[in-house]
Amino acid sequence: MTAKEYDVLIVGSGHSGGMAANILTKQGVSCLMLNAGPEPDFEHNRVNKAVYELPYRGFGQPGRLPHVFQANEFNANQWVDENEVPYTHDPANPYNWVRVRLVGGRSLFWARQSFRLSDFEFKAGDLEGNGLNWPISLADLDPYYSRVEEIFRVAGRKEGWPEFPDGNFIETNYGSDSETIKRLAELGKQRGMKFSKMRSSTGQNGLASSVNLLLPDAMATGKLEMVSNAIVREISTSKDTGLVNGAYFVDRHSRRERHVKARVVVLAAGTLESTRLLLNSGIANSSGVLGHYLHDQIYGISVVSSVPEARDGQRPQGLMGGSAFIPRFRNLKKEDKRNFIKGYCVLISSGGSASPNMFADYGEELQKKLDHYAGSCVSGSIFGERPARFENHARINKNVSDAWGIPVLHIEVKDGDNELNMAKDAANTIEELFHAAGWDIISKTDRFYPPGYSIHEVGTCRMGDNPKTSVLNKYNQSHDIKNLFVVDGSAFVTCGWQNPTMTILALSMRASEYLAGEMKKRNV
Amino acid sequence: MKRRRFFKALAALPAAPALLSQQPPANPQTPSAQPPGGRGGRGQANIPKFELTPADLAGDPTQRFFTPQQFSALRKLSEVLMPPLRGNPGAVECGAPEFLDFLIGASPAERQKLYRSGLDALNAHAKKQHNKAFAELSSTEADAVLRPLLAPVPWVYDAPKDSTVHFVSEAHRDIRTATQNSREWAEAGANSGRRGGFGGGGAYLNPIDPIYKG
Repeated sequence: MTAKEYDVLIVGSGHSGGMAANILTKQGVSCLMLNAGPEPDFEHNRVNKAVYELPYRGFGQPGRLPHVFQANEFNANQWVDENEVPYTHDPANPYNWVRVRLVGGRSLFWARQSFRLSDFEFKAGDLEGNGLNWPISLADLDPYYSRVEEIFRVAGRKEGWPEFPDGNFIETNYGSDSETIKRLAELGKQRGMKFSKMRSSTGQNGLASSVNLLLPDAMATGKLEMVSNAIVREISTSKDTGLVNGAYFVDRHSRRERHVKARVVVLAAGTLESTRLLLNSGIANSSGVLGHYLHDQIYGISVVSSVPEARDGQRPQGLMGGSAFIPRFRNLKKEDKRNFIKGYCVLISSGGSASPNMFADYGEELQKKLDHYAGSCVSGSIFGERPARFENHARINKNVSDAWGIPVLHIEVKDGDNELNMAKDAANTIEELFHAAGWDIISKTDRFYPPGYSIHEVGTCRMGDNPKTSVLNKYNQSHDIKNLFVVDGSAFVTCGWQNPTMTILALSMRASEYLAGEMKKRNV
Repeated sequence: MKRRRFFKALAALPAAPALLSQQPPANPQTPSAQPPGGRGGRGQANIPKFELTPADLAGDPTQRFFTPQQFSALRKLSEVLMPPLRGNPGAVECGAPEFLDFLIGASPAERQKLYRSGLDALNAHAKKQHNKAFAELSSTEADAVLRPLLAPVPWVYDAPKDSTVHFVSEAHRDIRTATQNSREWAEAGANSGRRGGFGGGGAYLNPIDPIYKG
């Protein structure tokens, strides 16, 4: 029996793979999508339980998911089992690789914060003088962002600020701000901060995923076939042409291996899985940068203040509540000289309460303090950009394999002074802002989570015009192998402070349309 | 292949079991389409549902991990840090010490060491200050031991440098969670009309298509 040859093999079904399938199938291209995990059926897979019914009272099985700080006992089964698919790192430099292997991937669970990158990120090299520019600008991606925002129904407030590009937003009524937010906005303005609102994908029925917004249309064309529980082990290449011609994949249950033929391969398995696959296949790395420049964002810095007139259960009408979003305001000008490059955004939330760990007390005294501060808190936290550095990388660890015998990644990422200085600046800036508002600081930390925690890992197949310093060209196409594309976050040159999902989707849309055009012209 | 298709077609028919019974017995030399014992009768679909008793209502947990001295200190620590308040049961009433004996016993070695060393340190402090085990201290005496070991921890992943201070902060958090996530806490809340917060529930995600094991 001879299996058929597909036009395009897509590896991965999250946002980037779903977008590739959506675009390509609508252009008449036959696609096969391989998914490493099973198809979820939340209606049947989920059951309501009291927390005391769980074997570990909500703590979760100790040691099961040591790198997934987002895990709890209710959701523990949505994450990749680290015993089945391990990875290694130096214990002194932990890396949190947070993974989902289900049809739809991480698009099933993302936070839906939806931002565009600006030219302060696309052309960061010009601003910072280090040449680390993307090969594209906001203008190149603008029409694709607009179409993505329409599909994902992004709610946002237009501001007209170049560092926070507006999009194709649905109308949203944010109501009037509380007095605490207004007070901060006025004080922030004096400090060069601009106050806006969070931008979020509303999707459909509360879900903004590949499985409900992208894949149904692709399936309806009749041009998409999907296989679940298919773990791709290696991309195959033609000995004659050097082009890719398919992939070997292993059935998750039986471990039986098969080979699928395709004219083109599109990798959309997520930054690190796509990179692992390329490294295990030994292809697309003439530049020597495959796996390098791994970076994401710093999360965790937090300052909590308390508004005196809102304590002890008093909540004067209109004083507390609501939120604000402050886009990057640091290092937007060359003359803005600080002890760090790049920037961070600030999220403000009003009307919260204090946590027990904020006080050196217990029992009745602790409870009195918690009651005293309940509802009176205004907090600030950040998403900050980590610089992309060559030395921060992932490579294959040939000594360790996963449950299917596939060698795993060794990840080596260290934070530097830039991250530490940025975090200090952020914590001090928010603290000073709250002090200026007349509020008391009850908790402050400039510490942040290990790399990877943000689940925004990018950069390991970065795009660029120069094949000697980049893996992909500006259309997410391998410099080395013209029928190989990588459309997930690994193509990023710099991550920015923004959630990367809108940019991943826009890049995948753009790359897929380019690919379809090249296939029609028989260039691929 | 034809034989497999034939049986598949039969199975799809509503009267398949009746038709199957009319077939001649399969040749014992060839594998049966239905492995013996692999498929129950129709009765399995209709077995009655019994009202089952949760294990924690049927039996007391056995204490297995900590030494008796360590466990007595943990019980005292739980009693002091999380006493009954505002109509809610305390940590001891909610079985938090027994639960933590189980949880820490199942935890990675580093966490086990933090707890064992921390409880030993509490006993050592109590011995030095009051010439008693920590479990035997009065509330005032226990407070004198604990007060210097309390510290605000604004970032839970940034552990206090002193290992005993670190232990007390971690144990405090664990004792609170084990208490507020207990059946006793939830029942007390339900009885008092308290809603929300800890002791609640959520949508538990069962394993999705776990790896086939035959």
